[in-house]
Amino acid sequence: MINELMIIIFTPLITGVIAWLLDIKGLREGISILGAAVPLAYLIQAHQTLTSQPSIQYSIVISGFKFEFLLYHLSWIFAMIAGVVGFAAVLGMASTTKDSYEWLFALMSLTGVYGIFLADDLISFFIFWEIMTFGSFMMVLKYNRKASLKYFLLSVLGAYSMLLAIGILYAKVGALDFTTIQQTLYQDAMRGVLGTNTLLSRNDMLLIFGLFLIAFGVKAGMFPLHVWAPDAYSETNQSYTAMFSGVLSKAGVYGMLVIYILLGTRLMYQFGRIGAAPKFGYVIAFLGGITIIVGGLLAALQEDIRKLFAYSSISQVGYILVGIGVGSALSIEAAIYHAISHALFKGLFFLIVATIVLRTGKTEFKDMGGLAEKMPITFAMTFVAILSLAGIPPLVGFASKWLLFEAVIHENMPILGGMIFFGSAIGFVYLIRFTYAVWFGQRPTDLDDTKDTPIPLAIAMGILALLNVVFGIAPGLVATELNKIFGKEIIKGTIWELNIGFGRYNGLLITIWLVTGIVIAGIIYFLGAKVRRVPVTDTYQGGNPVTMEYNLTIRRNFFLPLKETLAFWLRISFDRLYQDIGRWVEDLAETLRNYIYNGNVQAYAWYLAIILLILALWGV
Amino acid sequence: MITSMIGIALKAFLILLYATFVGFMFMGIIRIVTARIHRRVGPPIYQPILDTIKLLSKKSNITHGLIYDFGVLYALGATILALMFIPLGSISILRAYGDLILITFLLEIPMLGIMFAAMSSGNPWAGLGSQRALLTLLAVQVPLGFAIVALAEFYDTFSTYQIVMAQQTAGWSITYLPLLLAAVAYDIVLQAMFGKEPFDIMIAPGEISLGPMVEFGGKHMGILQIQHAIALFAETLFFSNIFLGGAVVTAFASSILNTLASLGILLIKQLAVLLIAIFIGAIFPRFTIDQAARFYWKWPTIIAAAGAILAAL
Repeated sequence: MINELMIIIFTPLITGVIAWLLDIKGLREGISILGAAVPLAYLIQAHQTLTSQPSIQYSIVISGFKFEFLLYHLSWIFAMIAGVVGFAAVLGMASTTKDSYEWLFALMSLTGVYGIFLADDLISFFIFWEIMTFGSFMMVLKYNRKASLKYFLLSVLGAYSMLLAIGILYAKVGALDFTTIQQTLYQDAMRGVLGTNTLLSRNDMLLIFGLFLIAFGVKAGMFPLHVWAPDAYSETNQSYTAMFSGVLSKAGVYGMLVIYILLGTRLMYQFGRIGAAPKFGYVIAFLGGITIIVGGLLAALQEDIRKLFAYSSISQVGYILVGIGVGSALSIEAAIYHAISHALFKGLFFLIVATIVLRTGKTEFKDMGGLAEKMPITFAMTFVAILSLAGIPPLVGFASKWLLFEAVIHENMPILGGMIFFGSAIGFVYLIRFTYAVWFGQRPTDLDDTKDTPIPLAIAMGILALLNVVFGIAPGLVATELNKIFGKEIIKGTIWELNIGFGRYNGLLITIWLVTGIVIAGIIYFLGAKVRRVPVTDTYQGGNPVTMEYNLTIRRNFFLPLKETLAFWLRISFDRLYQDIGRWVEDLAETLRNYIYNGNVQAYAWYLAIILLILALWGV
Repeated sequence: MITSMIGIALKAFLILLYATFVGFMFMGIIRIVTARIHRRVGPPIYQPILDTIKLLSKKSNITHGLIYDFGVLYALGATILALMFIPLGSISILRAYGDLILITFLLEIPMLGIMFAAMSSGNPWAGLGSQRALLTLLAVQVPLGFAIVALAEFYDTFSTYQIVMAQQTAGWSITYLPLLLAAVAYDIVLQAMFGKEPFDIMIAPGEISLGPMVEFGGKHMGILQIQHAIALFAETLFFSNIFLGGAVVTAFASSILNTLASLGILLIKQLAVLLIAIFIGAIFPRFTIDQAARFYWKWPTIIAAAGAILAAL
């Protein structure tokens, strides 16, 4: 029996394999786009089904293992993120991908993500997690070996942690499916409340939580496990990064939610609360808050477009972690809302970067400038993306950020509140730097014949840009779906309005009044005399006539004062720490090789003799 | 339906007119008071209005492209938008949606429009000025955030109007210690938002030729003058509302008298906020950008964070 869940999960992989085997230009792109479109279509259809029944199930038994899949409201939302952004990324890849190798692994990782979101037992969850990691690892490997190895090492760390945690859970609970684990642990918590002996001890819970936190934290790019992300995100096909950052990082976020679903009650019982938040959640939230600040500040100091957005991605996922960590129903909804908007605007941003890299062949700010005139369509998309990420009403970035701010601050979390405020300003800071260096100012002469975006990329960007606007003006569309997760109206209001009792936001009203304001400004503007267009060299330079020979733009080290202010903190780097540990391990191995594994057969024979002697003395 | 819409439009127009006028008077007051502190006579109070009319009626205007024009319009549009959300006595239009976070954001985004326009001109001073403005924004955001958090946690609501109403019965915000701390921090932040010394490194007249403003002239500069006037009005109004009790007069029988009295009280409070800023600005020399950042991340942050933590307890 083939169920629609299987079609959703495996279509990308199958089409990826076909595209790889056929390898005919034109055909492979068509097949791959189809492979991303089919799951999306099924998911949209599933929305209809989910109104009449709570979930869609599927289970299969392979050699004694029962694999279970479940599509319900929460997983539907995450799968839709994967569907929409994955589809846009695949469309973008049609413009930027040169060979079928990339199609295979990009679509493989999409299958992995779908599998994670739909899995209903820990074994399928783990297997698809590894499929996703492998696909994305291969995508990075093709571009940069070092970056891919860093990604691989941290992913392996995450995978082992998850496997250990799953093992401990299985040993104690004796089941792997989510429902049983959830129920058993819930009963265990009740047992604890009643004062009888619990199945899992305090240390067990601490260990399981810590291991899961590492596993999901790596994928989400949580501080201090974020070090792989800037390299891996930037050293691959940038259209693919739209999916990598937009969707794959959400697997980590989804994992954090799985912690809540499976272990939430038990952890809450064991460790209690800090203020309104569960103590274990506060750990996630606090690390998320640091992630926002570290990611944002480092984003502002980058000299490479791809790196800037990679760090920005880390920073934005920090917001989501803060929302999840605070753990009230509202803050979790806000976090998921921000996960949606992050996927939309960051997907858009990476497609824009893909266009820039494709058309100019350059990635560093120092080689850019004045592209707005040459690439008007791409710039229009950039404009939407910037407003959305910076959190300017009425775009989706503001709606979700607003919800998150209010949810966190309402729970009386002053420190986290301060952290997210700082994060929103740092967003302004790095975005304007990007805008200035790439789009405005003097244009280097070798970029004079840059063409605008190719059509598939334009369509992909168009889809994401449109959703950025729609979900901002009509935030109720998203809120209705979010409310279904908890089965009650946590965010009230209409399609245009979010009403959470202690705060209200109306996207339509803001749009109307913003347009009114701009119209009033426009009237004043058009009443004035006509304007004359002047070139970039015709600017105020203290009376000094300038030509294009002069450098008029600050392209490198734009935020030098910030670097100087933060000089002390920038000396602390977790990336360097890990590298030092790596070097230390290498040195240790080198020492061992020199003195112990020296390749001398006689020496090995001596070791053997000594061990036998020890065993004999022991009396074995 | 139609009549109510006309009513709203009329009200909005009157608010806008009042805000612009008072804003220009504030600009005049800044110049006069600064002049008196310097022992000069200073220009007449209506000088900024004359300047703006002159700028708007220039026969020759230049542009550096679409973004250059749109950024300026966006800045004014967003400022008008922000103004409509702030409670102004009992007559503001969108006060039901006057959310703390929303207004805080809306008061910041006009700067984004100005920066977009300034940077698209390609002038290096504009780029440098925008960089400094952004870093100042980054520096003030921390104490600003904590101050807003303190307010929201103290009153347990994000609605500015409800905060104003709560102050009518419970007394001004600054009579409570947590909010007094928040108000002090916010007032220091306001100094940078006004672009006054010691935090005027972003425009730094005489050093980088007014930074972001260097390239604007003619009607672009005229529109930005109007924007500056309204922003000055809106920022002082916001502060008066959330920390100084706002004004909701209901003593008179006539609603017009009540409104006028409310506006009068608010005006006095706004003037007080403005004068503090002018006095500080006239006394202190300019900070460099890293000094400003280090300052904001130290004392105002500590003060505001203390306020926020006290309010949360």
